[in-house]
Amino acid sequence: MRVAIIGAGIAGLATAYFLAKEGIKVEVFEQKFLLHGASGRNSGGITAQFDDEELIKLAIRNEKLYDKLQSEIGFNFLLRKDGYLKLANSIEELGRIELQRKFGLKVKIMEAEEVRNIFEDINTEAFKFASFYPKGAIVFPWAVIWGLAKGCKDLGVKIYDFTKVEIVAEDGKVKGVKSGEFHEADVVVNAAGAWSKEINDKLGIKEEKRIIREEICVTESIKPYIDPYILHASEGLFLSQSMRGEIVGGIVGKSDGGMTSSLDFLIRYAKLVTRLVPKLKGLAVLRQWAGIYDETLDGKPKMCFSEIKGLYQLNGFGRKGMSIGLACAEIASKEILKFTQEE
Amino acid sequence: MRKVVCRCEDLTEEEIIHAIELGYDDIESLKRYTGATTGPCQGKGCLMHILRILSQKTGKSIDELGITTQRPPVNPVPLYILASSEEK
Repeated sequence: MRVAIIGAGIAGLATAYFLAKEGIKVEVFEQKFLLHGASGRNSGGITAQFDDEELIKLAIRNEKLYDKLQSEIGFNFLLRKDGYLKLANSIEELGRIELQRKFGLKVKIMEAEEVRNIFEDINTEAFKFASFYPKGAIVFPWAVIWGLAKGCKDLGVKIYDFTKVEIVAEDGKVKGVKSGEFHEADVVVNAAGAWSKEINDKLGIKEEKRIIREEICVTESIKPYIDPYILHASEGLFLSQSMRGEIVGGIVGKSDGGMTSSLDFLIRYAKLVTRLVPKLKGLAVLRQWAGIYDETLDGKPKMCFSEIKGLYQLNGFGRKGMSIGLACAEIASKEILKFTQEE
Repeated sequence: MRKVVCRCEDLTEEEIIHAIELGYDDIESLKRYTGATTGPCQGKGCLMHILRILSQKTGKSIDELGITTQRPPVNPVPLYILASSEEK
């Protein structure tokens, strides 16, 4: 039994890892270099503060998997659990707090003034309420991908970078993938993130999904002092400080588009971030970039076999990939394992 | 003797070679794994050194290797200057 996975992001690599541990022969195909897609372009905020039961449960499982995989693989993901601070101009915009609490999240609701106990340089005029999730974390996304890739390779998984593949299907059943050469597979996993739609389009599989572009920038480094990951939900502004000391921040994506960065974003971000944390105003922006991700209409990931036999869909994570990707990969690997046993 | 090739991130030639030997042997992966070209100079001081080492180690020409995506801004710009600009 052989499995071919398209996309070497968090979902694809973790699925490969889980399957290889069960003795399945797995190959992973990445169209560009590792980190080219959303797994290499995001800001590493991890939370379970979602407004849906399934997403909350996935995120809670995901937290445990980070701990487990780091020690199992022997690779430091540079994950620090300093909390996730969600700010908003109204209580409603903080999301479904009762639902989150029902599933065990210890979220603390605060008024603006109280937030200064967590981060004293925050401008309390720039928001009204906050929801603080102490188990929220910041991870270095590149280290997650490097670590998963190492874990895969240690188990004998072959990862082909710079290898764009097409799915080969006959009589409603997958046969494998081809780049120049053909790789036979009984199961093909579409874990191509923002590129998963175009792969499905080619097979005539229709899906309603949006491809969203999001921009991020980093400043020069200062001594690390901002602990939590901060998201201003009403304004879409997010920021955190990396262990290198850079302030990494951006604005939640809204529109479709390619991976080009814009001056408009920098100006808007600078206005928002200097209002929220005025002390940062003297820091210089070193670098900006953009990334794209695929979002389903209901905001939930796709994890299922599809109309072509042997084709598994593992995509549609939106901007939540680092928070739920491992848990989704675990479910995917179990379903694929079951499929291979039934065949 | 230490040969420093990236002054912002304090990387030596040996460290770059080590990363290439670990398999980070395309310029985009090498950049990310070592941090080279991501400091205040944004590659203006180090990219050519890194490319030379990568070319020597892999036997590929500089043209074949390509260069990293050049990201704005060209020089660091303080947030307060950006914040005082007009949005479109």
